[in-house]
Amino acid sequence: MNKAMTRLTALAVAAIASTLTAQAQQSQLLYLAEDVPAGLNYDGPSVSVNTSQTGFINLMEPLIYYPYAGSNDDGVRMLDFSKFEGRLVERWENDPATKTWTLHLRRGVKSCFGNTFTADDMIYTLSRAKSVSGQAPIGWFLSSVAAIKGFDRSVFTGGSKELGDSVVKVDDYTVRITQSDPSFLFLMVLTNYGMAPFDSVELKKHATPQDPWSHIHANTVNSTGFGPYCLERWVKDDEFVMTANPNYYRGKPAIDRIVIKKVPQSANRTLTLRSGQAQLTQRLTSREFESLRSARGVKVAGVYGNETLFLNLNWKTPPFDNAKLRQAIAAAMPYRQIASIGYANQARRWEAHYTGVLNGYIKPDAQFPQDVERAKALLAEAGFPEGKGLEKYADAFKLAFTAERESYLGPIATTIQSALKDIGLQVQLEPMPQTQIADRRLVKKDLPISISDTEKPVGPDVIYATKLFFVSPGAGGVNNMANYSNAEVDRMFTQALIESDGAKREPLVRGIQQILQSELAWIPLVETRTQWAFSEKLTGISWHPDNSLRLFDLKLAP
Amino acid sequence: MVRFITTRLATTIIQLAGLALVVFFAIRALPADPVARLVGLNASRDAYLSSQKSLGLDRPVLEQLGAYLGIIPGSSGLLQGDLGRSWVTGSPVAEEIARVLPITLELITVSFVIAFLISVPLGMLCGLRPGGVADRITFGYSLFAGSQPEFWWALLFIFVFFAQLGWAPPPLGRLNPMSSPPPFVTGFITMDSLLAGNMAAFKDGVHHLMLPVLTKVFVLSGPIVKMVRQNMVRALASDYVLYARGSGLWPARIAAIALKNALAPALTLLGVLYGYILGSAVLIETVFSLGGIGQYAVRSVLAFDYPAIQAVVLVIAAISLFVYLALDVAHALLDPRIVS
Repeated sequence: MNKAMTRLTALAVAAIASTLTAQAQQSQLLYLAEDVPAGLNYDGPSVSVNTSQTGFINLMEPLIYYPYAGSNDDGVRMLDFSKFEGRLVERWENDPATKTWTLHLRRGVKSCFGNTFTADDMIYTLSRAKSVSGQAPIGWFLSSVAAIKGFDRSVFTGGSKELGDSVVKVDDYTVRITQSDPSFLFLMVLTNYGMAPFDSVELKKHATPQDPWSHIHANTVNSTGFGPYCLERWVKDDEFVMTANPNYYRGKPAIDRIVIKKVPQSANRTLTLRSGQAQLTQRLTSREFESLRSARGVKVAGVYGNETLFLNLNWKTPPFDNAKLRQAIAAAMPYRQIASIGYANQARRWEAHYTGVLNGYIKPDAQFPQDVERAKALLAEAGFPEGKGLEKYADAFKLAFTAERESYLGPIATTIQSALKDIGLQVQLEPMPQTQIADRRLVKKDLPISISDTEKPVGPDVIYATKLFFVSPGAGGVNNMANYSNAEVDRMFTQALIESDGAKREPLVRGIQQILQSELAWIPLVETRTQWAFSEKLTGISWHPDNSLRLFDLKLAP
Repeated sequence: MVRFITTRLATTIIQLAGLALVVFFAIRALPADPVARLVGLNASRDAYLSSQKSLGLDRPVLEQLGAYLGIIPGSSGLLQGDLGRSWVTGSPVAEEIARVLPITLELITVSFVIAFLISVPLGMLCGLRPGGVADRITFGYSLFAGSQPEFWWALLFIFVFFAQLGWAPPPLGRLNPMSSPPPFVTGFITMDSLLAGNMAAFKDGVHHLMLPVLTKVFVLSGPIVKMVRQNMVRALASDYVLYARGSGLWPARIAAIALKNALAPALTLLGVLYGYILGSAVLIETVFSLGGIGQYAVRSVLAFDYPAIQAVVLVIAAISLFVYLALDVAHALLDPRIVS
């Protein structure tokens, strides 16, 4: 009896010890961010917020994606945007004659809820997108960019909100999509988080008569995808905890548990990382990143991705429709001081209207480095020698910027004001709340001059960025805040969009970039580095066009 | 007394109703667009219009008001106790406020109690010997504490007690982020952890409350000490204290009589301070990542989250008004002349 009791006790002790060891071995990461996801519904109200994107991107899985193509000098892994690799869609075929794409889905993929990914999830996700029932119909918008048949503006004016024959389930693992027109951007769209399939079996459980597409559940409880992480706990405005999805088809993530904690003060994120009590942080000021470079046990890495700063001169506000005046302003810009004052030199002059990582990028011929004498000469050519004659446009010379970013945009605006004064242009500064800026830029489009650092195309392609920023509304443009209009750009864009032959598309893409730069659709100022600070034990940082980390790629040494 | 309370309650409700209307129209009069922020700057015109419709912002303002108040048939609004859903998170605003409000209330209530326990004896001591050593030191302290903004002291305390000495935890909220919180009952971490019998969470909660409370107490104590001191000096110079002295009462007894009278005006100031600090808690909450109602209010305003703004203003105003009401009742009990 005693022996049996001793054995039992020994077994119990061993079991407890083994459990404790397992717990001790469980790797955890504390990730300090400026906020946690406000919602997990990409058709919901928080879709444009980067911290929300980080949430649903790591809980969901894209249909296809880009392969990695090495690392930059800082060790940040970079993607090759000219190629695609299968994810939930394993392979695909296109028949240009019938404008159809046949998508072959991966088998054996399981969500955190144990449901298997099938064509039904694809049909559900695209039906939900076409219902335009969410507060921000991103799924519909991307599908319209991909030219999927029926995803047009008619859905808002009484047209059918049913998928019809545009997306058809061929069998459980095959889906056929028909386009209304060919679109070169079709595959690029499939890489986007706004096309990631939902676990329809799970999401349907939360549908109600008032909310048949379960937007409330996705906004407030869980996004129910097929991604590498599962949601453990989510306290809005506070913390977001994920655990590794053991069923993830690419293998269980290396880090078992990730806690994203909201720490609004960047100084506190810096201090905590320096103390070793957190392993990863982001969105610090340039000077805080600089201070961490020399901290023991901490690394700072960054990339010139798609974060930029530019000066927007409204084409519909005289005198900014004067091409020579625009050139004079560009030649007066103090690029080096902007990089130094605003970004602690973690920025460089932007020499184009697109960043170098985008597919199709070229450096255009027309360049406007800072040259005060050239600026003065161009100003005289514009008909305003030393700024004379511009007095009647005083109301137009108000430089707007986002007041919430005063800490770095304020000094930059002052530097620009001073540089323009050197050539005879008097500018007033006008900080505005973000909501007011958004209204003036997106809705009214009446800001005469503004500086902006929020335009980051999530589609890493020149054609996609052109559609967002430079194409006229009549030709399919989306947010042309500068009110720029050029028939030749519109023509080349339309042609490039439907051109499937890369060799024929290349001169069109090149031509668009040359025109925009020579006409200065806007005044590019600097490209800024997207940076992260992290424990030296952490590896696997990678850059993605949405500027959200892929936590699956991270590894934490013991 | 019942009539007095009923009248004050009715006044409070009218004030809240007026405030609700003012806030409703004021936020809509501002030159900003919440839809543009919600759908993102790169949204298409169609997406924008669709979002505007789903938020109900395409309807006339009076119709929006009707829906907000809940007087349109089939709608659910203030009259039904529904504060609406946040436009940013999609969650019911009432739920969000129920989560963030206790965080702030715990911070300021604990700070008030500690500040009161420290300040009253200190103020009394200073009042007993005006111009003495204790009085001069306290005067210097209150001047010093009040001369710098609250968030500055908070950052300084973090630097000293966390970064340099390592005594305090990192400023990452109410608990260690890697631990699990106790089940939500009251929302007060200290109380909930005790209710759950989770002593580790209780200790952790107290530890994380240490620096925010220290900051609050440090800044709050100055005015309370000054006020108690002034009232004590005034009370000690009064006729009834002179009479008490003349009657040969012990100094301790005289001090107790003076303190009772000195504390009555202090009650008013505490009420005012409580309301003021509730509305201005955002600085401490931001510095210590507490996620209380102050941070929630600022987030809502910056995002132009109309339902959340309307609700936060109402809730904070309601708490302040009810604190004032409680004070009025307390005063009425102390001085029945007020009721008449």
